[in-house]
Amino acid sequence: MTELLVKNACVIDPIRGINGDIMDIAVRDGRIVESISDKAEVIDAKRCLTLPGGIDSHTHVCGTKVNFGRYMSPEDMRAGRTRRHGKMHVTSGYYVPTTFGNSYRYSAMGYTTLLEGAMAPLEARHTHEEFTATPHQDMLANTLFDGNWAVMDAVREKNIQKAAAIVGWTLNAVKGYAIKLTNPGGTEAWGWGDDITSIQEMVPHFGVTPAEIITTLVKANELLRLPHSVHLHCNNLGKPGNYQTTLDTFELIPDLNPDRQTLYATHVQFHAYGGGTWRNICSKAEDITRSVNSKPQIVMDMGQIMFCRTMTMTADGPMEFNLHCLHHNKWSNHDVELETGSGIIPVTYSKKSAVNCIMWAIGLELALLTKNPWQCLLETDNPNGAPFVKYPEVIGLLMSKRYRDEECATLHADTERRTSLCALEREMDWHDIAVMTRAGQAKALGIISQGKGHLGIGAEADIAIYPIRTDSVDPAREYRKVVEGFQKTRYTIKRGRVVSRDGEIIVDGANATFWANARIPEDLRVDNDPEFIRRFQEFYTVRMSNYPVQDLYLPRGRQVDTEAFT
Amino acid sequence: MRVILESKVRKKPTIPIEAEEIIPRNFLKGTDLVVYEGNKERTLSELFWIFVEGTAVSPENIEVVLKGDTSRIKRVGEYMDTGSILISGDIGMHCGNFMSGGTIEILGNADAWLGREMRGGTILCRGNAGHYCATGYRGEKKGMQGGRVEVFGNTGDFCAEYLAGGEVHIHGSTGDFPGVEMRGGHLVIEGDVLRPCANMKDGICVILGRVHEMIPTFEKTDRRVLPEWKITADVYKGDVANRGKGTLMIKILESVAGNRLEEIS
Amino acid sequence: MIVNDVVCPFCGCLCDDLELEVEADRVVRVQNGCSLAEATFMNDTRLPAPIRRTTTGWKEISYDEAIKETADILKDADRPLLYGWSSTHGEAQSVGVHIAERIGAVIDNTSTVCHGPSILAIQEVGHPGCTLGQVKNRADVIIYWGCNPIEAHPRHMSRYTTFATGFFVPDAQRERTVIVVDTRMNDSGGIADEFVRIEPGGDYAVLSALRAIVRGKESVIPKKVAGIAREQLIRVAEICKNAKFGAIFFGLGLTMSRGKYKNVRNAIELTDELNRHTKFVISPMRGHGNVYGSNEVFTWMTGYPFAVDFARGIAFYNPGETTAVDILRRGECDAALIVASDPGANFPRTAAAHLSKIPTVLVDPHVNATTALSRIHIPCTAAAIDAAGTAYRMDGVPIRLKKVIERGYPDDAALLKKIYDRLNGGMGP
Repeated sequence: MTELLVKNACVIDPIRGINGDIMDIAVRDGRIVESISDKAEVIDAKRCLTLPGGIDSHTHVCGTKVNFGRYMSPEDMRAGRTRRHGKMHVTSGYYVPTTFGNSYRYSAMGYTTLLEGAMAPLEARHTHEEFTATPHQDMLANTLFDGNWAVMDAVREKNIQKAAAIVGWTLNAVKGYAIKLTNPGGTEAWGWGDDITSIQEMVPHFGVTPAEIITTLVKANELLRLPHSVHLHCNNLGKPGNYQTTLDTFELIPDLNPDRQTLYATHVQFHAYGGGTWRNICSKAEDITRSVNSKPQIVMDMGQIMFCRTMTMTADGPMEFNLHCLHHNKWSNHDVELETGSGIIPVTYSKKSAVNCIMWAIGLELALLTKNPWQCLLETDNPNGAPFVKYPEVIGLLMSKRYRDEECATLHADTERRTSLCALEREMDWHDIAVMTRAGQAKALGIISQGKGHLGIGAEADIAIYPIRTDSVDPAREYRKVVEGFQKTRYTIKRGRVVSRDGEIIVDGANATFWANARIPEDLRVDNDPEFIRRFQEFYTVRMSNYPVQDLYLPRGRQVDTEAFT
Repeated sequence: MRVILESKVRKKPTIPIEAEEIIPRNFLKGTDLVVYEGNKERTLSELFWIFVEGTAVSPENIEVVLKGDTSRIKRVGEYMDTGSILISGDIGMHCGNFMSGGTIEILGNADAWLGREMRGGTILCRGNAGHYCATGYRGEKKGMQGGRVEVFGNTGDFCAEYLAGGEVHIHGSTGDFPGVEMRGGHLVIEGDVLRPCANMKDGICVILGRVHEMIPTFEKTDRRVLPEWKITADVYKGDVANRGKGTLMIKILESVAGNRLEEIS
Repeated sequence: MIVNDVVCPFCGCLCDDLELEVEADRVVRVQNGCSLAEATFMNDTRLPAPIRRTTTGWKEISYDEAIKETADILKDADRPLLYGWSSTHGEAQSVGVHIAERIGAVIDNTSTVCHGPSILAIQEVGHPGCTLGQVKNRADVIIYWGCNPIEAHPRHMSRYTTFATGFFVPDAQRERTVIVVDTRMNDSGGIADEFVRIEPGGDYAVLSALRAIVRGKESVIPKKVAGIAREQLIRVAEICKNAKFGAIFFGLGLTMSRGKYKNVRNAIELTDELNRHTKFVISPMRGHGNVYGSNEVFTWMTGYPFAVDFARGIAFYNPGETTAVDILRRGECDAALIVASDPGANFPRTAAAHLSKIPTVLVDPHVNATTALSRIHIPCTAAAIDAAGTAYRMDGVPIRLKKVIERGYPDDAALLKKIYDRLNGGMGP
């Protein structure tokens, strides 16, 4: 039995309505409890800001395309190298760190749970291997269904139950957590080198539209009672004028779930462009947020870009190829049979580029214009917008108009008239930030019931103690202190153990992987369906019996059961 | 001030030494530098006899002289910004890595990656240089960006790969693919070459010797006189396969009237 | 006993549809596999116990003694080399990286003598590729360049390309056009629709020419390039541009002929250029069954796919300097641990010879040419036969290798872990 007492913590716990109380937190055997013995080890938080462990609801850290990004970038690997010492292994990489690099750096920032943004079912085993090598964060995997042949057939047949059964079987087979759609329909078109440019356009051969894929899977998601909603990377990412696609997509979404959103729209900054060309591109953040403000069934995340060199990597194959044609940087592509695609290409976001400045402004506008912070979460689509180590700077910008003004003064001259950022006065407060970096994610991902995202009795003891005294720092003026404070916790506690202290990892990790197991009635299961089996064996290049990820790939798997079709 | 380092005989002479701390500036603080022999940390005095002549208050007046068997000593001159280094014999890999100023002179031969990622300064190699002379690092878009590398002997393969700026002058011949992926800078080769300037994007290359196996996707534009070299040269633009706008100038051989011996085999 | 859906570990195809008949501790019959698979599963003669070289010949020693002595050899070495890894599973490869990091060693895998150049090219220009099922289901043009799949990857054509029935290519043989490019006719060339005979060393020039032709600049090209007439090059370019989906597969003909990674780079850039016209992909024909796995494991742990040098505490990568062949050729290492490979047979003589001058330990189930150069040889399980674990197919798809028999050998991952623990003072990973 291990006990720990965190005393004098200045706690902000939005899920439990606590906003700045000084209190003690008692931990026993990895969970928060009412009280403990006096044999407990004591940490004095000294009235510092104490939050539930950070949760990243969309980050690319593990799997085939992430490793592609590393593999093809030795010049980045050498940029962020640290040596082995104590419990810390060697790390390499700045914008696509090695798995230990990711884990240590996230831990230093107080993050204890991560959702991998995209996992192709056929290659899930690779993602799970890397999860085990990201030892200080509990992991969840977004599972890609945007180009899934069996699903598209079910969509065309207007058979929501069948679509749900396929998704349910697949998530169970590959230990995935949620339905991810990236450029739905577009990734299949990319199998032929084409793309889809409207949500009403037919996917070649399959006779379905992105709108149909999205609406069918949104309903299937609820039929399966999955803890998270459909997680969507809209069509037309990155194209001037694409905001209309985004608005049209939002219009498709009914409100089907009382506990959480019905659609999680990710990295919306990349989907909020007006104009029609690179020359007249402008921000449509106001239109987007107007829609989201009136739709509680939608939660989005920012997709903030920062000015630096970084790596783009998404399942959106055609988008990545377009970037290659635009900038001529080295480009990798990896289409996955019957399922999805991916592309990887480095980019540099520069203040000299009007387009990049507008993109930067849009991300911040989305956050500042969304009335309810639970509906716009802090993300950079790591590493696509910026490496996650830049989150503290994003926090600083959201909390300080002065910081934003100082940055705006150094931007391209066109930015001001094509965005509205410079006129926005709102400054987020500590509570808003706590929502946008953990409480909101926990709610959106449906993991509050797993004990994540809050510090109530029974919760998992994932705690981040930041070297910030909220009673003596004015975030609006002293944004540097805010940025520094969020860069490195004094303590990061994971399931009751101190894993990181002042940025130094002091124990070996033992993370868990959450996955969704929808219990489907026997007669609806696709692995009893001879036609499903026949098509699988004929068109995949692996045998169906070799496809599922064996249990031993999840040394501490946390199966989340749901009763589907009830 | 002159610092003379004479290499000591070692028990395992083939284990490589990494000596990135041997740059003139570091001797302002004394001679207590760290070098590595394989994975073992050593002091400078464990591996070298050290003689110091005179004093200096600023690093540009420091000359470091290496003597003895220095053929396996890597990274000498790394990030050097001023002063001079004279290597009496051969030198190991990565000599003059990231150099931005000062002078390195090598009296013997240089191993691979001489002047890697150089930004400024001068490297003179009296002997031969190995593969990847005056180039960059794997995956980077640019190699050497400034400064001057002059090799009086021959070089190995991939000389001046990814050259982006500065001058590279080879008096002898090169191996395969000199100037491959060039995108700037000035490359001059007085001897013979094999498959020059493949995939060139930009920059200027002048070849005075024989070209073996010209890349088939260069477009002849004209013939002109180059007064600084006192030659007449055929001028090519390319590499067309790569949308390149580089200039490749090849001296016309007098022995064969009219035609160049550069046909693809 | 019959075991279904067994994975063959021999080559990069990682066929997973084998049917094995097993009796006691032997495989007695292999169905669906090629001749290489049969040899792998049925000619599985193992070294019975660890052996150590003495002045009077080989002596059998215990596993504990072997592990202890291996740790002693590695512990104080100034520049130890850990090489091989491609025929074992990811779990063992991970332990190898931990060992290298712990003792400041160089760790390298067989990419160094095979597709290392492909990796270098990818690091310059990226890799436009896909999983093999995309090729099977869509490709109407297949190009094999500098490889002979019928000999080296016997089931490649029937499972993934020429003869495989695909969803969009149901009449495979009629609907697919196969082009083979090589320096001389071979079995694969024999079944091609178009054979392109190229002069040795001429690949780079031909690829440049094809790129220019695809760009519409055929006027720049001379009448013949590397022995190939311009007309044939134009015809090949047309076939490619008119394809619905083209796939290029290449092998040692590109990676090991002069220019090496530049050849592969040029082929990738041709693929990029073709993507402006139609869908085209390119893939290396990985030779060893799990060499790609060692690339993946090394990369997510260290940042680099092969040739990783930990001498300075951080990971340093520089092929040509930190690659095993170069280190051995220069006599730079003073101790070696060879796992699941045979450098004695595959390396140039001068490089392999150095292994006999230093204390070398071989961990491999079979006696091979490297045994003769080693001081100690420790037999262990053979992945996919008596050890289960993860392997990565040539296209990156991860597949779990099965354990089909038990032969009483220790798993190599467990064995390496014991060596690691001794080196680490028993302090965990």
